Amino acid sequence: MNEAQDRYHRSATADAGGTAGEYGLSAGATTVSDMELAVEAERLVKQYRSRAETVDAVRGVDLKVGIGEVFGFLGPNGAGKSTTVRMLTTLLSITSGTARVAGIDVSADPDGARRRIGVALQEAGLDPRQTGRELLVLQARLFGSSAAHAERRAGELLELVDLVEARDRRIKGYSGGMKRRLDLASALVHEPEVLFLDEPTTGLDPASRLTVWDELRRINARGTTIFLTTQYLEEADQLCDRLAIIDGGLIVREGTPQQLKAELRQRRGLDTDPTLDEVFLDATGRTRERAAGEVQEVSA
Amino acid sequence: MSAVQQANILGGRSLREAWRTPEALAPTLFIPVFFLIVNFGQAGKIFPSDSTGFLHGQTYAAFQLPISLLLAASFGTAALFLVEDIEGGYFDKLRAAPVSRSALVLGRLLAEFVKSAAITTVLVIVALPFGVSIASGPVGFVLLVLLTSLWAVVFSGFMQLIALKTRSAAATNSGGLVFFPLLFLTPNFVPRDMLTRPMEIAATLNPVTYVMEAMRWLVLQDLAWEPLARGFGVVAVLGVLMVALNVRVIRDYD
Repeated sequence: MNEAQDRYHRSATADAGGTAGEYGLSAGATTVSDMELAVEAERLVKQYRSRAETVDAVRGVDLKVGIGEVFGFLGPNGAGKSTTVRMLTTLLSITSGTARVAGIDVSADPDGARRRIGVALQEAGLDPRQTGRELLVLQARLFGSSAAHAERRAGELLELVDLVEARDRRIKGYSGGMKRRLDLASALVHEPEVLFLDEPTTGLDPASRLTVWDELRRINARGTTIFLTTQYLEEADQLCDRLAIIDGGLIVREGTPQQLKAELRQRRGLDTDPTLDEVFLDATGRTRERAAGEVQEVSA
Repeated sequence: MSAVQQANILGGRSLREAWRTPEALAPTLFIPVFFLIVNFGQAGKIFPSDSTGFLHGQTYAAFQLPISLLLAASFGTAALFLVEDIEGGYFDKLRAAPVSRSALVLGRLLAEFVKSAAITTVLVIVALPFGVSIASGPVGFVLLVLLTSLWAVVFSGFMQLIALKTRSAAATNSGGLVFFPLLFLTPNFVPRDMLTRPMEIAATLNPVTYVMEAMRWLVLQDLAWEPLARGFGVVAVLGVLMVALNVRVIRDYD
């Protein structure tokens, strides 16, 4: 734990009369304790063991995401974001702790969890040799749709993400933005209850990013819970109802963007609300200079 | 949806992938044909059909055809496509779907079986002008296609194992080369009893020999139980082993 995190945790414990985790969840008016939960993780741990060493990628993460929320999961490179998401989406085994998604224990019933979640990971995972339509039809078939229903669903989704004209073109000819939108559509073929998006706008130009944001808002408006990891704090500020910041495999902040800004403003005695960037830098113990000059190895 | 249906769907996608990558498919046809022509051209006169007993009245190209078929069935492009899926993130998308883990690996093997059946048929047709005929008749031809395609499943299963373990195209390519000596430690130019003693021992210990001899029997002679049982026995045992190992690896895949 770095100095800033330590100061935050001591202050939080003293102010709230409880643990830092409790502080993070109860710092403002919004709590998740009364909500029905879409995602729930308790003491989630991931260790990578090799002959030479054991690496703790995630060191005991507790998360609660309410149904219908857009939840942002932030952190610097190698903090454990992607590892956590991969555990929650059944792609990675859990070393210890439990995770429930849409009420299903992901370790005990991975297929049950997979039926209820949609996943779009970093670097749009698409098959460049298929057409957009073929990819969506295949994905729908794998989720149990009949051939006719899969075709119909592919048509709906292509319309949703504005790719109708490109439907019969091979994906390798799509632009970065088109690929992202198709990836998003492929995560929605089975109308998931929870949508996991790992850095969905990384590498996109500003216009494409705004298009993806619009899609996410529309999807969320239909009742889908969104669990979003991002490195873009503006994105988190724009889209997320609540967010958590992870660093060194531990959650170091959690709350609504407004709560997190208000807490930092109060703690530092600032006249105006700080930006989410400043909250992030404070939470992760980084300074602007250090963050700009840092070269980190991504291990998650 | 059953695992078999899922494997069928994924197999269809793999076939589409192969069809849309002719640059990867072309060497699978070209190199075996090249070897057939070159080997026949070099040794055809040494082994004339009318005075070479082991040719059973056919040309030396008929003796060489099984080597070309085995070569065609031993290209590892399916595993390289799998590595591409892994590196590009599409494999994770498939893993995040409620798909039987076995179907994820069996789909590609199924596609490899179908692809190999088509390539074998094409290669047999290409060999016809060189005086080759399938002496065991239509049933023998079907068995020849079946045996070659099952061998393709064995080899692809082996390559897929390397791909899943290493997740690297370079390692998968190199791993495939380990298998190649086995293709040549066989009676590929003359029957086993005409090999030097050390070579005969090596060929006898090599399971690929029995697959090649069964294929050769189907090309040169009538149907016979014993050589076919040995050939199909080898692909059955190795096939079950490869599928079991693939399923085990995919279940533990993190």
